Amino acid sequence: MSQIAFFGLIASRMMSVPDYFHYYVGGLSVMTLWSAAVFIGFDIYEEAEHGVFEYLLSLPVSRRQLVLGRSIGGGLRAFIYVGPLIAVSMFVIGSVNPVAFIVSLLALFLFSFGVSGMSITIAVVIKSSDRFDIFMGVLDALVVRLSTAMYPLAIVQATNPVYAGITNFNPLTYAADLFRWGASIITLDNPLLPLLGIVAFFAFFTFVGMVLYEQRIEGGGWQ
Amino acid sequence: MKAILYMVEHDFRNFFRYKWWLVGLISMNLADLFIMALVYSHMLSSSAGITNYFTFFAPGLAVTGLFASAFMIGREVNMERRREVHHYMLSLPMTRTELAVGRVLSGGLRGMIYMSPLLLTCFIFLGFPTIPQFLLILAVLFFVALGISGLSITIAVSTSSLEKFITARGLVYYSLFFCSSVFYPLSLIEELGREGKFPSVLVTFAEINPLSNASDMIRSFLLPGYIFSQSWVLSVLVFSAIFTLSATFAYMKIIERT
Repeated sequence: MSQIAFFGLIASRMMSVPDYFHYYVGGLSVMTLWSAAVFIGFDIYEEAEHGVFEYLLSLPVSRRQLVLGRSIGGGLRAFIYVGPLIAVSMFVIGSVNPVAFIVSLLALFLFSFGVSGMSITIAVVIKSSDRFDIFMGVLDALVVRLSTAMYPLAIVQATNPVYAGITNFNPLTYAADLFRWGASIITLDNPLLPLLGIVAFFAFFTFVGMVLYEQRIEGGGWQ
Repeated sequence: MKAILYMVEHDFRNFFRYKWWLVGLISMNLADLFIMALVYSHMLSSSAGITNYFTFFAPGLAVTGLFASAFMIGREVNMERRREVHHYMLSLPMTRTELAVGRVLSGGLRGMIYMSPLLLTCFIFLGFPTIPQFLLILAVLFFVALGISGLSITIAVSTSSLEKFITARGLVYYSLFFCSSVFYPLSLIEELGREGKFPSVLVTFAEINPLSNASDMIRSFLLPGYIFSQSWVLSVLVFSAIFTLSATFAYMKIIERT
């Protein structure tokens, strides 16, 4: 909220991008969703530390159901956490196209599940909470900055084509663009493309997460 | 004095135990400079009063790095309190004052060490100051670091759980970071205040914010268009004195009580 009130309001004064305040508010909701969804990875370490992992493995659910349930649970939790911020953003932004907004919210749901799946995947691969903390910090810095969450793609392109190349294939870019499109802040030539990008991101990390989770946790492999 | 140095050594050992974490933090700060600041440079409007955001932001980045690292001591003190390590600390053969001063001092010094590569990066891209200016920058940043370390210890000993500490830290972080001239010129905040779009109390807060004062002081030595003001140094000294004393007092009293 303070980022909207302080950074959004003041920074919009110095930017040449038209209506940067609304642009930034839209991006901030998606950035926060990303950060909240990543948190599920830290829970994995806490459960391993406190012996909850053994309990979860003893439950009458398959490993695949377990990881899928955790991805969806982590994503939903993040969505609930970011809900008030999205509500405030919508209040600040004003009128929206209802159909486009519902589509963008669905895309954000999938994005949130995908980020949770990614966080779980990285957590079971890295195995050390300290290393995970560092890795996610660096990843967060790069993913957020090399996306359209804070600035339009055309400006990234004008700054550095390499940055723009990465920004083009960043799931956070797809989520931020779709949310802004749903909130009528920007127009998109083809909203299907970022939507497909998010579906691919979700499917990839849910699948990889399931396979790695199964492989890594048997026989105390998480320890 | 020797006891204070022991405390500093103890805290430095803890600090360097997380060297990869520090490397990660520095890379995040550099990503801010080499990605975000470069892109923002291409988005500035003519009324912003800045022509190059990269050079504007580099001093602010060094100060935010100093803030984040000097604040880390609070997390350790809070953890010690929760895990009751402070009983061991209180049993050490040193006075309560030496213990408290040692913690505040080490927090500040750790901030200075962490900030040095960021300050060097700033000098490399903006040019080096004269020796007196350099010494003044180091002195002011050291006092800022001491004040931040004190602020963080005061919060750490006054909060009983990690959640409360993290919540308080978030509030302090966001207010001091975003209501300062680290990311944007102070003139923009003052302009919004004059237009009635920003509360005057927050405009005053931004003006006396030590992060604003330290960033603008470095800018005044390295960038054209900034005039050095002695009030910045005074403001930093007052901030540092208030929080160094309050941390020393709070650490001595609250730690003994729990």
